[in-house]
Amino acid sequence: MIRFDYRRPTSIEACLELLDLYQDKAKLIAGGTDLMVELRADDEKLEHVNMVIDTTHMAALKFIEVEEDVLHLGPGITHEEIWENPFLQEYAPFLCEACHSVGSPQIRHAGTIGGSIGTASPASDPLPPLVALGATVVLASVNGTREVLLEELLLKPYITDIKANEMILSIDFPLLNPEAGFGFVKLGRRKALAISRMNVATYVELDETGKAVDVRIVPGSCMPTAVRISEAEAMLLGQVPSYELHQAIGEKVAEEMIKVTGRRWSTPYKEPVIASLVKRALNQATGVKDDD
Amino acid sequence: MTLNMVVNRKPVSVEIEPYARLLDVLRTQLKLTGAKEGCGIGECGACTVILDGETVDSCITLAASCEGKSIETIEGISDGDQLHPVQQAFVEHNAMQCGFCIPGLVLSGKNILDKYPEADRERIVEAISGNLCRCTGYKQVVDAIEDAKDKIDE
Repeated sequence: MIRFDYRRPTSIEACLELLDLYQDKAKLIAGGTDLMVELRADDEKLEHVNMVIDTTHMAALKFIEVEEDVLHLGPGITHEEIWENPFLQEYAPFLCEACHSVGSPQIRHAGTIGGSIGTASPASDPLPPLVALGATVVLASVNGTREVLLEELLLKPYITDIKANEMILSIDFPLLNPEAGFGFVKLGRRKALAISRMNVATYVELDETGKAVDVRIVPGSCMPTAVRISEAEAMLLGQVPSYELHQAIGEKVAEEMIKVTGRRWSTPYKEPVIASLVKRALNQATGVKDDD
Repeated sequence: MTLNMVVNRKPVSVEIEPYARLLDVLRTQLKLTGAKEGCGIGECGACTVILDGETVDSCITLAASCEGKSIETIEGISDGDQLHPVQQAFVEHNAMQCGFCIPGLVLSGKNILDKYPEADRERIVEAISGNLCRCTGYKQVVDAIEDAKDKIDE
């Protein structure tokens, strides 16, 4: 176990001052479901850490609010709280599904959405739907606040653009049409406690003629970070959803994945599986009959 | 540093290291050895306790974070010699072999019935999905929790 000192600031201002003082020697703890494991394993990326700043008590980080069609999600909200929230179940059902598939009940009771962003695991479940929602992250430091698109904040596996003296204050996204289609499909080794081998979040909005006017496809555990695959989204835009089209789009996503990651030992497995998951997530979002 | 919390309805105050895990404080300082260390990384659920009404893995819970919080362990759920209905049902259904995972399974079962007294089988199965048992399989466990649901109602 890495040994560290501990502070429990009672306000955001006090927390920011501590972060500014300790910089990269400090880590924020929220649920601790990732950090505690890494600290205990003497993870080398934490070897310089000697201070843990606790945010679990901060009520100012726990909110789910709507203001002028923008949802503000507090970083201290747990995965379980997202899953159980009736408003989110209506407006972002794929985010609820994704949060519900994280770890186990014990992990979901402790783990937070802000922690998921901070950890930036390439196998994260909540990140693909948050990217599909077009979420922006509000970051604060002693010097002020800034907003960054989540998709741009995620730089590499486990690496974000969050500076050492910054903390997440809010995760914001414009509300999408709740009548449109949402999909989330995950492949894990078992239902509970499975870290995603791969997952996909999809959103498809149709016009009155049944043609797609807004398409978002975000695979997880395929690319280094969760990103929208615009080349694949373009294939559905202006078209009427169909099984065959979704199949072709799935193959396109697999092709884009290989362009970025190259052919690896896992590619013969990942290529057909991601194609199939994308097809299924699009079928789910559009009500097209899926394979039995 | 001093940690103040309520454990099994009694206020306790203990001197801890800032990097102590809740599991170690419970087992070595408070001598509550019902919570077990299995995997140590939050996957097996043998260390499950109830923290402010929700199950957590105490092996990955920072003890210092529990300041002012209420913790329930397996030692605190029976009433004297009277077992909790979930414990009693585990006995009646032979829902255990080696027993290592049982404190965690019982607490996950108790917690879901506290939160959802009408929990159906599907919800019970999900509630124990973070508790691994390598002896019994899970049928007797789920049967026991379902059975306890009716006993709590009585």
